[in-house]
Amino acid sequence: MEIDYRLEWPLRIEARLTVAGFTVLAGASGEGKTSLLKAIAGLLPAEGEPWGGLPPQRRPVGYLPQGFGLFPHLRAWENVAFALPERGRRRESALALMARLGIAGLAERFPAALSGGQQQRVALARALGRAPELLLLDEPTSALDPATRDVVFGELVEEIRRIGLPTLAVTHDVHLAGMADRMALMAGRQIVQEGTPREVFAAPVDGRAARLLGYRNLLNGVIETIVGGCATVAIEGVRLRASAPAWGRKGQRVGIAIRSEDVALGSSDAEPEGCNALVLRLVEVREEGLSLRVAAHGSIALDILLPRSSPTDGVAAGMPATALLRPEHVHLFRVAE
Amino acid sequence: MSAGTSLAGGGSAGSRVRGGFPVASSVGLAVLLFLIAPFAALAFATGWRQFHFISGDFAAVFVSVFYSLVALPIIALFGTPLAWWLARGTLRWKWLIEAAVLLPLLTPPLALGILLASLYGPYGPVGVPLEKVGLLLTNTAPAFVLAQIYGAMPYYVITARAAFESVPRELEDIGLTLGKERWQVFLAVSLPMARLGVAAGLALAWVRALGEFGIVLIIAYFPHGIPVKLWVNLEDSGLSTVYPLLWLFFLVALPLPLWLGIASRRRGIF
Repeated sequence: MEIDYRLEWPLRIEARLTVAGFTVLAGASGEGKTSLLKAIAGLLPAEGEPWGGLPPQRRPVGYLPQGFGLFPHLRAWENVAFALPERGRRRESALALMARLGIAGLAERFPAALSGGQQQRVALARALGRAPELLLLDEPTSALDPATRDVVFGELVEEIRRIGLPTLAVTHDVHLAGMADRMALMAGRQIVQEGTPREVFAAPVDGRAARLLGYRNLLNGVIETIVGGCATVAIEGVRLRASAPAWGRKGQRVGIAIRSEDVALGSSDAEPEGCNALVLRLVEVREEGLSLRVAAHGSIALDILLPRSSPTDGVAAGMPATALLRPEHVHLFRVAE
Repeated sequence: MSAGTSLAGGGSAGSRVRGGFPVASSVGLAVLLFLIAPFAALAFATGWRQFHFISGDFAAVFVSVFYSLVALPIIALFGTPLAWWLARGTLRWKWLIEAAVLLPLLTPPLALGILLASLYGPYGPVGVPLEKVGLLLTNTAPAFVLAQIYGAMPYYVITARAAFESVPRELEDIGLTLGKERWQVFLAVSLPMARLGVAAGLALAWVRALGEFGIVLIIAYFPHGIPVKLWVNLEDSGLSTVYPLLWLFFLVALPLPLWLGIASRRRGIF
């Protein structure tokens, strides 16, 4: 499904993206992601397709806001029955919907007596009662218990896939996109990149996208040579080998994005074939959960995340070290010339 | 997980801390005593040995209760849309409308009665045409109800408006996205969620309508309702005839607000 929406109020937003299967739209807070969802649901004035100009009650959309928006004065089954036709066996239909999502046992409870994950399922069942063509989820993990969030949400995504309902979930947590069939990035109140999570994570189109995707090392350089599929990029006197992008040409200014966890520390004599090796000095080393976060300075500065599986002998502030970086982990992106 | 337990336990009164507010509770108790002191005095002042009603007392009770029961649905029917409009409407001159709603409350009741007399009275610009179609708004049943509406409606509108404002707009939006029309969302979401405040507004309007004296005195001295009859008893027959009627007044006035309070809390989930 193609979504193409333009808002003027409360924020000026332009968004054109494809929703296929479970699609995640990631962007920093304040980008207007919630406003975009509300506009698609018809709750904010906007121009766009599909359903442009229709009032919310005429749009075949299931909208789950942050916190899920259950009606606190209605029991779970009454919430689910809300969108069902007034006549007929509403209770039976609601219970059938709830059974489909494995929550029939919660029918008589009020929302206040449900956990975040249970509320989410009741809200999903309620939205399904509307027979929507598109499901809209606003920050679907924000009201879930952090300890079980990924599991609970992962199961919900599987459920939605089984139902086969196109879904657009917006989040500031790009990590969620890992579970998606497709993802898009929003920056500067427009969509800057979309594709499968693998495509997008591997090749951010610009610095904003790279930052959103969790790249901490963003540098500027110039392509010196392109030989075969390999480009050599000069960055402040340092040369790095990188996979050459199709658009790359000699002499072109480019942005360089490197993930902290893609940098390893080693000695240059053990350098694998073709690997970039940079001699740096470790400036700061601190624990980050089970990993070590290392700041290393030299001709360029790098932020490095060492997993606990990597050797940590000699990793201390003030020590010299060789940073190893495979060319396919050096991502080039276009910058304004 | 503390969030989980507070979510699960939030609905039951048992999870709330009892006592533990020594300053608030002692001040509260003192204020409560201050407020009920006159009614304790009533118990002592009543001449229980000569407790009796005089002619017209029961008629006054009927007039007050019956016409208040007529006024209350009218107040609810027309006051609710106004309250909703004030709560949800996006109007440039909203403060002016709010002031207009407050105006009947601000005006001394006697003065409001005089204003009503000059508008709806036999020489008033509205009174004259209405009289031609047979509706006389001085010293008649309709005049009595009219006075009660003016006295009580602003209380209902202000209370109900606050109640509607407290309903999260998002839940009303959700109702729309679930395919319901605005009026259906109002009946299924807004009204039930605002029911505590709306019920309080109705209770307030009821006691105001029953107790209305100043406005009634001017435009509906007849038929005598309880407040006017209390005045008449005092003037004509003395204090001993006031107290029995006052007891009767409490007896008929209190059940409805008490019932509204209990009924609106019955589903104790908030």
